Amino acid sequence: MKKFLFLSVFVTTGLLSAAAALSQDWTSFKDASRNIQSVKADFLQKRTLQILTKPLLSEGKLFFYAPDSLRWEYLSPLRSVMLQKGNNIQVYNFSEGKWKPEMTQAVESRRMVLAEISQWFQGRFDESKAFKHTYSPGPPARIILVPGEGINRFIQRIEIVLSVRPGVIDRVEIEEPGGSRTSIEFRNVEINSSISSEVFEKP
Amino acid sequence: MIRKKGLDIFLLGFFILSVGCVSLSEKTLVPGSPDDLPDCYAVFPAGPWESVYKLEATIRGGGSFSLLGVTKGEPSERRLQSLLLTPEGFILFDAEFRDGEMAVRNAVAPFDSPAFAGGLMEDVSLLFLPPKNKPTGWEKKTDGTMICNWRGPDDSHTEVTGSMESGWRILRRDKRGKVIKEVVLNGPFVNGLASRMELRAFKPASYTLRMTLVQPTP
Repeated sequence: MKKFLFLSVFVTTGLLSAAAALSQDWTSFKDASRNIQSVKADFLQKRTLQILTKPLLSEGKLFFYAPDSLRWEYLSPLRSVMLQKGNNIQVYNFSEGKWKPEMTQAVESRRMVLAEISQWFQGRFDESKAFKHTYSPGPPARIILVPGEGINRFIQRIEIVLSVRPGVIDRVEIEEPGGSRTSIEFRNVEINSSISSEVFEKP
Repeated sequence: MIRKKGLDIFLLGFFILSVGCVSLSEKTLVPGSPDDLPDCYAVFPAGPWESVYKLEATIRGGGSFSLLGVTKGEPSERRLQSLLLTPEGFILFDAEFRDGEMAVRNAVAPFDSPAFAGGLMEDVSLLFLPPKNKPTGWEKKTDGTMICNWRGPDDSHTEVTGSMESGWRILRRDKRGKVIKEVVLNGPFVNGLASRMELRAFKPASYTLRMTLVQPTP
């Protein structure tokens, strides 16, 4: 469950990248999130660990199609993909030249987390059981998420930094207890473009 | 006819086993030239180092998984810290190994058993730290290949063979001389770290770890 809550943070940031509004005020932001049909984006993840002098870099792609289809894929250094279509959730790792299903059985945990994410995506932050949110107008405008009891053992704070370009965020910063951090920068964000349904079905 | 076929299979099996035994047979060595002794340690990184490896593990009868392995070493203190991460960056396992003592800082199921922690740190030590004592015997061949043997306090043996040019092989044997772990390290070597490594464990558990260097530091 812990693992998937952590993963949810990454996924959520991708979804939120599409949810930013033309105007960066909080009400418009939430209104715009209801008009999102699809999101495509590349991302660069920088994982700062106390053990490493340089951050660990990962690259990947995000695809979302409303209301509940998602593909969150890492291309390097490890190839891995999480697919959601409705209630069906699959995770694959690329190993020895082919995609292999992940050994974990924690599908129910993923389903719970994705339900939480779905609420966030639709701007229903008030309904989140995991995080409390505040909005900072900036500039740059930010959404700050603070986890409740339990999750705060793993995540201390999340900041979603909105871009000046309507509908796009620049980056997300995730702070963990003990000083480790994760930064995710979004690039080439496309909103409401067409996406084949196969993207959410096959690795 | 049946008897002949059985004989063929026996001979084929004997041939395969013979080939395997030749490559893994233990050579008795005596101390060689003191000038060659430092070369016994060339396969192990010297000085403080950090690494990120892509890990692909295959467990006999238990499937496979891919993770990221982050390790930091302080050879002078015989100290290693190792992390296992998911592709998303979540820490599944975090432990420190210092001069034979292990401290697990964080471990998430199914990586939270003491047996897993002990096995992992034993593998990491085999890959990155030379045995504590001086080799009991060593030899440098004319082509520059080194063969070095260590005997452990529990009567286990460690054998290192190879060179920076051709790559290295590390064998760990039990007290009866049977190979329980084999590591093959291939270059190019970056700051003393092999670009590709394969560890095969035979006993007590049977598994294979393939490691590809992603990020060496400094």
